[in-house]
Amino acid sequence: MLGELLYILAAAIITWLLFVSVDIFFRLPEKGGVSGASAVARDIQAAGGDIAGGNMMGNIVCSPDASAGTLLAACGVYVAGIPGGLIAAALVFIGNRICHDPGYAGTTGALLATFVVYGFTQVGFTATNFIAGTVIAILSIQGISHVHASRLLARLWRVRQ
Amino acid sequence: MIPALEIMFGFIALVGGVSAALILDYYGKLISLGILVAGVIPFIVDRGYLDVAITVSLIAPIATIFVLRVVRRADA
Amino acid sequence: MIALPLVAVVAVVAALRATFERNTARKLPYVNVLNFAIAASIVLLRDHPLSLVAAAAYFVGSTLEANAIASTYAGARNQ
Repeated sequence: MLGELLYILAAAIITWLLFVSVDIFFRLPEKGGVSGASAVARDIQAAGGDIAGGNMMGNIVCSPDASAGTLLAACGVYVAGIPGGLIAAALVFIGNRICHDPGYAGTTGALLATFVVYGFTQVGFTATNFIAGTVIAILSIQGISHVHASRLLARLWRVRQ
Repeated sequence: MIPALEIMFGFIALVGGVSAALILDYYGKLISLGILVAGVIPFIVDRGYLDVAITVSLIAPIATIFVLRVVRRADA
Repeated sequence: MIALPLVAVVAVVAALRATFERNTARKLPYVNVLNFAIAASIVLLRDHPLSLVAAAAYFVGSTLEANAIASTYAGARNQ
């Protein structure tokens, strides 16, 4: 049981790096994609956070982004291997358009995650490790301290700029 | 589902339901109803009614959007 | 398998934090975590191809709902 916990923690770190870099690559911290995302960003800033990090967190709330893509891709690989992951990427793409998001962060995250998760399942991980790992990773960003998470994301965003 | 899981998801639904009654702010109430639905979905899935889960998952948000339109008109 | 109980605990924590947070817009990231956890739970509870569709439907639906709440809140605040 402890062994599985370590695998889940490792998967959490891997997925964290994956979706944070995809989201930053697609410029999620630049501005809120929809009005709701900007509102979330403003209120996070009002609590002491950084507006760029808040923009990214608001965008994560309002539309499936790379983190959602990673989760659904891991679910897809668990259910049906690589084809499952690709189907998940298609579902994420549809979800993006339903949420009025013209971007590709979610789809790209899902596609990358499909191959990353599948690759790791060949070396001792299970897909369930990545499903739980992604949930832990998103908890670390959206669920523990908005202020600190937004500042960390803002610092990473400055690196990209 | 093992009893511990049933208790946890049931607790989520309970928190959502009770807070929906007690919170005064409109948006807070709607968010609490969303938490309630979130707690109920695992029970539907556990019994195997995946098609019901899909339907509820698509209809509940649409219902919330209709309520939001009423809220917007009530505020204006 | 510890994945499902772990995810359920995350869901409970997120639901509680969302309930006790006062500011509407700051509730939404906690609700987002809850949605991730429930979508994960759907697939972990039942290993079936349709579970993937159910998880995607639930996740997209809940994200759309959060989006609607956030933009209505934004519109009301700007007035």
